[in-house]
Amino acid sequence: MVVWLHIGALTGYVAAALVLSRALAGGERTAPRSAAALATAGAALHVAAAASYAVRYGELPLVGLGPSLSTFALLTAVLSLAVLWLRDVRPIGVVLLPLASVLLTLGVLLGIEPAHGEMAFRGLWFALHVLLTFAGYACFAGAFAAGLLYLLQHRELKEKRFGRMFRFFPALATLGQWQRRAVELALISLTLGLAVGWGWTTRFAPLPVSHPKVVWGVISWAIILGALVAQRGSARERRGAIASVVGFALVVASYLVLRLTESAGDAFL
Amino acid sequence: MSGQHINVIGLSHHTAPVEVREHFTYSDPEAQDALRALAHAPGADEAVLLSTCNRTELYVHGDTDAGVAHAYTLLEQRARGIDHPLGGYLYERRDQEAVRHLFRVVTSLDSMVLGESQIQGQVKGAYESARSLDERVTGPVLSRLFEQALRVGGAVRTATALGVGAASVPSAAVQLAKKIFGSLEGRRALILGAGEMSELALECLRAEGARSIVVANRTEGRARVLVERAGGTAIPFDRLAHALNETDIVATATSAPHPMLTEKLVREALPRGARSPLCIIDMALPRDVEPGVGGIHNVFLYDLDDLHQIVDDNLARRRSELPRAENIIDSAVDEYWNWYSSRRAGPLIRELRERAEQRRRAELDRLLARTPDLPEAQRRALDELTRRMVNRMLHGPTVRLREAAANGDGADIVRAARHLFALDEDDPEQDTDR
Repeated sequence: MVVWLHIGALTGYVAAALVLSRALAGGERTAPRSAAALATAGAALHVAAAASYAVRYGELPLVGLGPSLSTFALLTAVLSLAVLWLRDVRPIGVVLLPLASVLLTLGVLLGIEPAHGEMAFRGLWFALHVLLTFAGYACFAGAFAAGLLYLLQHRELKEKRFGRMFRFFPALATLGQWQRRAVELALISLTLGLAVGWGWTTRFAPLPVSHPKVVWGVISWAIILGALVAQRGSARERRGAIASVVGFALVVASYLVLRLTESAGDAFL
Repeated sequence: MSGQHINVIGLSHHTAPVEVREHFTYSDPEAQDALRALAHAPGADEAVLLSTCNRTELYVHGDTDAGVAHAYTLLEQRARGIDHPLGGYLYERRDQEAVRHLFRVVTSLDSMVLGESQIQGQVKGAYESARSLDERVTGPVLSRLFEQALRVGGAVRTATALGVGAASVPSAAVQLAKKIFGSLEGRRALILGAGEMSELALECLRAEGARSIVVANRTEGRARVLVERAGGTAIPFDRLAHALNETDIVATATSAPHPMLTEKLVREALPRGARSPLCIIDMALPRDVEPGVGGIHNVFLYDLDDLHQIVDDNLARRRSELPRAENIIDSAVDEYWNWYSSRRAGPLIRELRERAEQRRRAELDRLLARTPDLPEAQRRALDELTRRMVNRMLHGPTVRLREAAANGDGADIVRAARHLFALDEDDPEQDTDR
């Protein structure tokens, strides 16, 4: 049941992404609203999948690589909904929805089951820590999506290419504004998530500074802070967009490096 | 009724050059005078006059020969001073083709610029002007036609992308600027030049909500004349560099033979590598802005070729929507024509029922006269019975007549029904009864 609900959610996301991609490829000027409806249906199934998981295993899907990826995908999809229901920025979903789909696919392939190892730090504060942290990463993914579209639209405008992307993508100012807001939210959310995690792990199960979770958390936080600093001053929109795109790539790359070198088993890290 | 038709007589940019069309431009009072004249003429039951810069058309419903002839006369009165015969410029459409023509006009399929939205308002204005006259120049046929036309215009605009994208140079400039700034509300604009194109750009920017519009021209006096007429602030040319630094959008349309905005001037005017985007639209030929300006960081430079490219792309996309628009129009023409045709059966049905009622009444009176002792209750029952019988018998023919008329067979069926029920002859039984 849990897996089938996840597959249903994935189908919704993929269908919504296809609708948007088709509109982009067809040179449409606006993204169809049906994409928002499909993604909403997918997210509803995803929430049902999480609830089904909680009923079956007695915990939220926050522990273990598969469940964690599923939750991260859900938060990214929720962020997608926020943009998909707004006509002006709907095309940002053309990046966010495939990202949510990839995360969910990986989660399903790895298996949506709890990790085997016992954790000292669980319960409400753990859930809060994970959800806030993932929400921060999801917002940064949103900044990446808006930043990527900004850079592509900037190139189209500068090189006078009035093709599909020019027509479909939102205005530079709109993308810049959304990108900046997403970075601000990402930093707030990640800071709170890390603070909750730090507070409770030091009380119940202190982690060494060299632990991959700590290293990745600090690296991510520093990168997002850097992306926020890049938003300041003159010509900030383009610099901010570059910082968000490069920063998100660095966050993903640092995770993969840590994951490959630290052999985290079936845990997220 | 069977001799009545919907006609349109007129001329447009398809058939007449501007020097001919300008003779046929009616102001609103002139159009109303023409309609009054037509209303008093025999054979024209209803009329609407549509006059825009690209077309003048008279929609007439009534007797074909007399009404249309009078419409021609009205147009001929405006043709003084034209060398060529008027007939070569005029076109005439009748019935379904006239209906289709109006639907194509209101949806801009017949316009000079495909997808332009102005025509919908112009058609609405023409109809309302005709409807506002004390003389009843619009009736059920043209009222329904124009109201349906306006609905078709809205439906085509909603269901297709016919009106999407800029279709003129100034609107393409606005489209470009909006892709950079999102909205132009509150943006600062600088206009170089004080000619017609500059005025058009100023009006476009103002309409989009641009705040603080500055006009600079070599001859400051001309800039002042422009801002007095269209709004904004005039500045001397030597303050150009300062103005550049405080603006978001620059529109240039001077007739200078050499570039007014050189790369050196723009680089010096803008803070080094640090500013919000600057959009420069060069609408002049020869160009007012050195191409190198487009290479400056955060400066977006577009010239006439770029604007034309956007317009051409948009028009090509609009043309690809034509089949969908034509489908909507086809359905609407069928719907209107069904209604119009079914009206043709109305008078016949009325006549048929009147004749049947007369006969029923005569027969009943004859019977009641022979039975004077019949109680009142039974008299009423007989009256009710015969009324029902007549209604039952006429129900089928009534429905069939309406259906046949709606299917376009109205004229033939009406003729056949008149013959079968002998409606063109006096009622012999009634004569006998008398």
